[in-house]
Amino acid sequence: MAARPTVRGYLFATPLIVVLAAVVVLPALYNTGLAFLKYDAIRDSWRFVGLGNFDKLVGQDGFWNAVGVTLIWVVGNVSLQLVLGMLVALALNAVTSFRALYSSIVMVPWVSSFVIVAVVFLWLYHPEIGVLNDVLLRLGLVSEPVGWLATPGMAQFSLILANTWKFFPLVAITLFTGLQAIPRELMEASRIDGANRFETLRYVIVPLMAPSIATAVLLSAIWAFNAFTLSIIMTGGGPLRATEVLGLYIYKVAFDSFDFGVAAAASLVLFVTILIVTVAYLRVADPAQETKG
Amino acid sequence: MESAGRRVQFFAHLMLIATAVFVLFPYAWMLATSIKPIADVVAWPIRWLPRSVTLENYAAILSDARFLRSLLNSAVVSVVVTTLSLGLSVPAAYGLTRLVKRGGRGMLIGILASQFFPPMVFFVPFYVALQAVGLLNTIPGLVLAYLSVTLPVCTWMVATSLRDIPTALEEAARIDGCGDLRIIWTIVLPIAAPGIVTAGIFAFVLSWQEYIFALLYTTSEAAQTAPVLMFYLLGQHQIDYARLMAAAVLLSIPIAIPFAVIQRLYRGGLTEGGVKG
Repeated sequence: MAARPTVRGYLFATPLIVVLAAVVVLPALYNTGLAFLKYDAIRDSWRFVGLGNFDKLVGQDGFWNAVGVTLIWVVGNVSLQLVLGMLVALALNAVTSFRALYSSIVMVPWVSSFVIVAVVFLWLYHPEIGVLNDVLLRLGLVSEPVGWLATPGMAQFSLILANTWKFFPLVAITLFTGLQAIPRELMEASRIDGANRFETLRYVIVPLMAPSIATAVLLSAIWAFNAFTLSIIMTGGGPLRATEVLGLYIYKVAFDSFDFGVAAAASLVLFVTILIVTVAYLRVADPAQETKG
Repeated sequence: MESAGRRVQFFAHLMLIATAVFVLFPYAWMLATSIKPIADVVAWPIRWLPRSVTLENYAAILSDARFLRSLLNSAVVSVVVTTLSLGLSVPAAYGLTRLVKRGGRGMLIGILASQFFPPMVFFVPFYVALQAVGLLNTIPGLVLAYLSVTLPVCTWMVATSLRDIPTALEEAARIDGCGDLRIIWTIVLPIAAPGIVTAGIFAFVLSWQEYIFALLYTTSEAAQTAPVLMFYLLGQHQIDYARLMAAAVLLSIPIAIPFAVIQRLYRGGLTEGGVKG
């Protein structure tokens, strides 16, 4: 008890740090090592192969397909969520009544279980007896049932829509928080100076919100890079691998082909990509933060 | 100006009502399907108003031993992960924010940063390690995998809520001769309760709904969690959507309740802006 506070402080943190080392740090290091090793079945041992696994990875069509699919998936999700999130944030900021109720409702998808989202959207998208087709047919918007997951393009779109349903709340609330921080006088001043609503949005609100937009985009992008629960449940990556994002590709390489080395290499590539995106985005977002202060 | 303001209000409400419909419809449809007789579920064109309301889908899924087993497994995993996450993160957050003089914040950032590894980085290492120690296809194995996600986030959440609490009470208690454990128990826990409850709910909800790790590390029936079982129900030749939606409703309840608790805890935070604006 007489020990110095700092020593006691670290003592309190020791159990956590030990467990974290065991379940985070060691596995991450092991994975990094694995990316440079190859299992030798004859000698039953692991052999250092340098960049061999990466070489093998970039030689696979599946990898480049996954890179392309992931690009569409990330860009599609981020843009859709940003547009929808911005509209909701502006609306939340504008209303003077029921705001707490609206924001509670908006958060519902965010706390929804991913598996349930997948199962329910499968049911909504059902090609023969799905409610989405029923509504569109009744409204006369389509003349025959839509195969939501049947063609590569439609499947990509349908999965992005389902993922947007799940994730746009966080984007909306992040942007809403940013909007709330903008002094109302600034918006009013811009209006009095003769700017219309769109100009106020474009030249006053958006620049001032740059940090929260950056945060929202970053969260949404990282999430999209990592999430493949929807594709594994709803399409299994198909049709024609059109929804096989990198996460699912890595999963398949590891546990369908049991090529642990290549899977580890691919996960490193993904990790570094996310890291670069994060750092680049923080760089871009930073100057805006300075002008704000 | 006055009428323009009213027009903006109108469109804002319209937008939010449309969003509410977009957000709530999947749940409404899930609930509606779950209480329809099977003949109405497969009717085309869709029978929006069922001829009768039934609980037979719930009865069917609740008499499925595998489903009940998976619910039990999910409950055990969630409770254990939540307990361990709080038991490890609360003392650590207290130690690093209150006792460590310098470097505590850097350490916290390091802990949070460990959360930025994509889950794919852990697929193979966990698999190999769990197999090596005989924990593959067991509940303890899955718990360990979940701790890698919950611990960094819970520690950060508790530390953040501690930072906003003045230390005067703790200092007074220390002068009165209280030790660290007593301070944590009698002062930190009650005052930081909202942050700790939020962290606990995060850990619980994550473990309740997580799917990929569960699919990888609990393939056997004995350890299977509910989300994995849902996946197997989907894999059946004839998918019984009515039963699946009943299962989805049941699985949503343990998440809906903590969500309501969080809403209550942060009601002040969400409405604050309204007063300010």
